[in-house]
Amino acid sequence: MKAVRRVLFVFALLALGPAPALAQEFEKVTGPLRQEIPAVPFVAAAYGIIWLAILLYVFVIARGVARVNGEIADLKRRVDTFDRQDRRP
Amino acid sequence: MRSRGIGFGFIAALAVAVLGFAFIPRMILSAPAEPTMGIVQKIFYFHVPCAFMLFLSTFVCAGGSIAYLFKSSEAGDRVAASAGELAVLFGACVLTSGPLWGRKAWGVWWQWDTRLTTSFLLFLMMVAYLLARRYGGPAGRKLGAALSLFAAISVPVVYKSVDMARTIHPKTTVVTTLDPRMRAAFWSSVLLMTVVWAVLFMLRLRLERARAEVAELRLAVEDAAEVPR
Repeated sequence: MKAVRRVLFVFALLALGPAPALAQEFEKVTGPLRQEIPAVPFVAAAYGIIWLAILLYVFVIARGVARVNGEIADLKRRVDTFDRQDRRP
Repeated sequence: MRSRGIGFGFIAALAVAVLGFAFIPRMILSAPAEPTMGIVQKIFYFHVPCAFMLFLSTFVCAGGSIAYLFKSSEAGDRVAASAGELAVLFGACVLTSGPLWGRKAWGVWWQWDTRLTTSFLLFLMMVAYLLARRYGGPAGRKLGAALSLFAAISVPVVYKSVDMARTIHPKTTVVTTLDPRMRAAFWSSVLLMTVVWAVLFMLRLRLERARAEVAELRLAVEDAAEVPR
């Protein structure tokens, strides 16, 4: 009977004490490790973003050049009109 | 007035850029992979040339700004404005491709280490240059020109920062110690990026000249309109 009491006492101590941290333990990998971030999307994204930025910049410049050329043509026409008016007797 | 036609130099540079666009990626792919970082190290072949173009743009911008500040050269100001925009463009490319490389190699997108921080500050200075020009009022161009001089002074600091301070960024010696096939791909990429830079610079300068022409013509129209008839 005394032995049973001792066993029960030990179990009670174990129950009241801190729970074993089974859920927080790290488990070792058994198969091949497949957790690495794939590199190809990063390389492709970096390359793509650089060329896209350059192409976008070319597009913006081309639009600017077209707009300014339009303005130049318009202003030249107005200057010519004034010149013709000046030449009239 | 200067002719606005497309010159032989521009067409040749454009042809080289197109050829480079077709062949350089093949050279980069066939270059040996780096054992520690693996495939992601291939970002190096266009990240570093973009950084070189950021430096080149900043120096050209400062050169034009010096001509504008000390000799009142309008042509110098046009050169500076064109190069300033390219500095922001290539700076953005560097600051985008770098974190993509860092995320894979270091596990983080960004680290406030010396190279990254100084590069970011250089980029901000060039953005401030453009903002000063655009929103700085009558003194904006001169304020911007002064800013670009500080940016040019900071370029050697950015370049040598990895050798001067403790950093996780690769040091400048990686370029000199490259494997011959890596070296060929790297310098070809630098050459391609330089040609692309030249094409963009010529295009942007052409736009700036055309804008100057518009300003002259506007004055001529205003003068002609004011003459009594």
